[in-house]
Amino acid sequence: MAVTAPVERPSASVARLQESWETPRGWRGTLSTVDHKTIGLRYLVTAIFFLVVGGVEALIMRTQLAVGNEHLLSAGAYNQLFSMHGVTMIFLYAAPVLSGFSNYLWPLMLGSRDMAYPRLNALSYWTYLVSGIFLYTSLPLGAMPNAGWFDYVPYAAREYNPGLNVDFYALTLLLLAVSTTVGSVNFITTLFKTRAPGMSLNRLPIIVWGTLTASVSNVFALPALSAAVVMLFLDRRFGTRFYDASAGGHPLLWQHLFWMFGHPWVYIVVLPAMGIVSDALPTFCRRPLVGYTFVAVATVSTAMLGFGVWLHHMFATGLPPLALAFFGAASILITIPSAVAVFSWLATLWYGRPWYPAAMKFMLGFIALFVIGGVSGVMTAAVPFDWQLTDTYFVVAHLHYVLVGINVFPVMAGVYYWYPKFTGRLMDERLGSWNFWTMFVGVNLLFFPMHVVGLLGMPRRVYTYPTGLGWDAYNLVETAGAFLFAAGVLLFLVNAWRSRVHGRPAGANPWDAPTLEWSVPSPPPAYNFAVLPTIGSRHPLWEGRLDEGVVRSRLDRGPVLDDGRETFATTPLDAEPAAVMRMPEDSYAPLTLAVSLGVIAYGLLFSLWWLAALGAVATAACAIAWLWPDAATAFAGTTRTEFGDLPVGASGRRGVGWWGMACTVATEGAFFAYLLFGYFYLASMSGNPWPTRVPGFGLPLVNTLILLASSAVVLWAERGIRAGSTTRLRVGFAVAIALGVLFLSLQGVEYGREALSPTHDAYGSLFYTITGFHGAHVFVGLVMLAVVLVRALRGHFGARRHEAVSNVALYWHFVDVVWLAVFTSLYVTPHLR
Amino acid sequence: MSAGRRRVGRLTTGALLSTALAACNGTTSYLDATGSAGRAEGTLGWWLTVVASVVVLFVCVAVLAGVARHRGERNAPTRDAADEPGDEGAGAHRREVRSGLGWIYVGLAVTVVVLLVTFAGTMVTLNAASHPPRTPALTMDVIGHQWWWEVRYGDPAHPDFAFTTANEVHLPVGEPVRVRLHSADVIHSFWLPQIAGKTDVIPGQVNETWLEARQPGTSRGMCAEYCGLQHAVMALAVTAESPAEFARWAQSRRAPAAAPTAPEAQAGQVVFARTCGVCHAVAGTNALGRLGPDLTHLASRPTIGAGMLANTPTNLASWITNAPGLKEGARMPAIPLDGDQLRAVVAYLRTLR
Repeated sequence: MAVTAPVERPSASVARLQESWETPRGWRGTLSTVDHKTIGLRYLVTAIFFLVVGGVEALIMRTQLAVGNEHLLSAGAYNQLFSMHGVTMIFLYAAPVLSGFSNYLWPLMLGSRDMAYPRLNALSYWTYLVSGIFLYTSLPLGAMPNAGWFDYVPYAAREYNPGLNVDFYALTLLLLAVSTTVGSVNFITTLFKTRAPGMSLNRLPIIVWGTLTASVSNVFALPALSAAVVMLFLDRRFGTRFYDASAGGHPLLWQHLFWMFGHPWVYIVVLPAMGIVSDALPTFCRRPLVGYTFVAVATVSTAMLGFGVWLHHMFATGLPPLALAFFGAASILITIPSAVAVFSWLATLWYGRPWYPAAMKFMLGFIALFVIGGVSGVMTAAVPFDWQLTDTYFVVAHLHYVLVGINVFPVMAGVYYWYPKFTGRLMDERLGSWNFWTMFVGVNLLFFPMHVVGLLGMPRRVYTYPTGLGWDAYNLVETAGAFLFAAGVLLFLVNAWRSRVHGRPAGANPWDAPTLEWSVPSPPPAYNFAVLPTIGSRHPLWEGRLDEGVVRSRLDRGPVLDDGRETFATTPLDAEPAAVMRMPEDSYAPLTLAVSLGVIAYGLLFSLWWLAALGAVATAACAIAWLWPDAATAFAGTTRTEFGDLPVGASGRRGVGWWGMACTVATEGAFFAYLLFGYFYLASMSGNPWPTRVPGFGLPLVNTLILLASSAVVLWAERGIRAGSTTRLRVGFAVAIALGVLFLSLQGVEYGREALSPTHDAYGSLFYTITGFHGAHVFVGLVMLAVVLVRALRGHFGARRHEAVSNVALYWHFVDVVWLAVFTSLYVTPHLR
Repeated sequence: MSAGRRRVGRLTTGALLSTALAACNGTTSYLDATGSAGRAEGTLGWWLTVVASVVVLFVCVAVLAGVARHRGERNAPTRDAADEPGDEGAGAHRREVRSGLGWIYVGLAVTVVVLLVTFAGTMVTLNAASHPPRTPALTMDVIGHQWWWEVRYGDPAHPDFAFTTANEVHLPVGEPVRVRLHSADVIHSFWLPQIAGKTDVIPGQVNETWLEARQPGTSRGMCAEYCGLQHAVMALAVTAESPAEFARWAQSRRAPAAAPTAPEAQAGQVVFARTCGVCHAVAGTNALGRLGPDLTHLASRPTIGAGMLANTPTNLASWITNAPGLKEGARMPAIPLDGDQLRAVVAYLRTLR
């Protein structure tokens, strides 16, 4: 049992902490570690590797485009390259590199010992790696995606694109969706459940706001992509008709879903990067950020507005003027929070006492690039001018100023800034200066002329172009700029590689920075904090010189929590300790689970159903092994701390498990919402009577009542166990399982009755896909209910131990609520016309 | 403008022939557009460019001024502060910290004003560019194919006006033309930058737009939505001309092909009807195919292969024998004709004026 009274400089406990948290050396440790710092660095290195790969692809393309009528590459090769460049940079570099920073930094910034779900963190990384490897197996097969990162149908449909190219694209994105979603759930839960005491929301570093906002956006935006990609894959491989205009489908459904995801995604890959600047710039200006609250609010509101502007990618698709005006206005409006951030940085510089190491140079360069990318964005938001700009090189210039300017430059700044924390050594400043100037001059030579050549009418995505249209000189300069930029990236790699060994030793806080991660040694020990800190202000390390209030942070004494891997679970808003969590040990399950997902993907890709089935069985086995109740992390009584008596081995009411389940439910709910959007969108676009055949009403109504009854029973059972009645739990869950099985059986009966075909028209495709996905969720819910029931029969639960019951109940209610939406949409609305 | 032309090598060479895209159909710039909608859009574009440049300039100056303001101040962190976090020793740090919020308030106010003006200009232009000034008399049905444009002219008031051409658009100056856009396969985007902005060509729906040229001239149109292998080579020649000239052109387009008189061309017609007529139509003959472009007046078009090659006898011959080699993925197969047949077909095609 932990003795967690305050201890002064606990040297004995440090040895205990080291022993508990350290990952063993060797390949076992390498494959099983769940240390967020290791995972963060792996993310960073892998993402920068993909940056280089995507960069090489870009250089080959720029070589082709250096002069007109060049035929170094065939049309097919060029089209594969530009598609791979987009997919690689956007999905395998831009978001993962930020996950790298956040994974490494969050627990250090928030004052905890790991993320809320360390193993989920490892799963997120391994799945990302598997998806990258999966995507690049298309290279030796000569079947790289070739329909662009935007993958518009019907060019991406089987009829026009029969190879494996687009299947690689679809399955890669589904794998990445798993990785990104579990990562986001982890960030959200970590933020709300595992902060240091006193780390209230108004004291979070801005990068934490950025990553939190991006994670919440992911939860709601990614399902749009997943839904679109699932429909695409079904269309391509199983003959459904979602996008087939000749059978009630519509190609614009893809564009709507893709950009409902795609635009929020832009903010997902820039907001955490803007956070890097908002946190690091004040350090080099030696003063706090101007307008912290404004910038935090701007971060959140940008993401929210980002969900309402997707149509500006579709201004030329023939939309009514009212929609154009509305989405044009929204797209102009979204400038405002960005302007807030820019003025905040300018004012911080103006009123600070700046100095200019390489990190700072990158940030000042970033401000210029950010503004150029921002104002060219406003130009494309002006609908009628966008009819000229869209799909020209102007947009290529715009999006690269945004993504290189607002992602790559802050990432460079972030690496220079935190490298000493990662490695204990500083990067070389002289090389850093060369690195910055080559990249800054290079990026402008590369992308600025694209504005001009776009205004001169050069379209995007062309493998070659005619000479004599005034485009030639600009293209040559662009290519020169591309190679200069690449040389800058090379300098960066050299610097990062050499400084590991030759860099100047850094010490804990080489930049005199204000935030918590600089209070621990560089590199930090496996356990992060020898004592868990208590936070009193936004700048714990600058409290001596700033007047931010009377409360002082306490960093060098406090609770030790050295009985195995332990950290505090805290309350969501005020970060008051609610429990002492036992954190999981290292595990192979994340790796094997990720590999199993990869096996499924290869099975689906090659239509090797036995392989896909094998992968599915392996996935299920890994998941069960993972979730098997572990005595070490089970509830183990209470302990006395300075924060009162806290339960050990739990995470309190509305605990970590609840947050994880709530996020899962949110993202799954969004998935169904996007499917139902598809239903109503196709209904509105359909020239034919819709649905083609109105489904029967009676049986589904009975089924609805059955599901509602099961929810009531689950509610009754959960109330029962909270009051200590094991019998109510057992009886309730048994009855709920019976009702769920009855529901699925009746659904089967209904499938037999409805003379619909999933491949005849889009309505049939939607009907079976929506009800089928819901049925699958019922099945998963039944498995969960069964597992809990088995454990209940063994007496695992009681009045104080029922977290699993509550979480499963939440899931079951969710499945029922989704059914109400499905029932209303598919069975009721057809009768209302 | 024929700077890009290059003589194509021998007729029977293989797929590695290096070719030069024909750029002989004029400008693609749109800030100096000559169409009605294009002019409105161009005006808005100029204003936006100016506003954007001013904003960028202001921020860059602010950054440089912020840097210059602190020149001469100590340029390294105070080591004592770094060694002992939270230490009071760094005296300079203790001076009063300005809130700096004024920057945000003023910046926000200026931003909002600039954006409001931008939005107003956008709405005014949107109104001007969305509708033709009066109801168009002429109608064009444009059908996007991988990778060429089929263009059908029609006049609802005169049913016998209709004719079909490919990869070229003629516009009567001062007359708005209604355009209906259809796709034969995937999504394309119809774009005549000098005349008006883009409208996508989407299977399953018919998008409408309008074109009005305001001064005579030639320019280049193209596909603006990625549509597969040869998206880069899907251009069309745009000619704006006086209504009288347009009427003469339309008149000539409606006429069937004149029967060839030279023996070689007559032989070519026979080969053409047998070999090419399955896919291509020549009005007035028994070549009735609809898969490829209508060739009734091929000889008067400036380019072949949708802006791929200048329309010369040599290029025609190499195109016929090796279209997929010149334009990877082109639907037209390589036609195995012997030397005499090929010369005859080219001679025949040259008569289709």
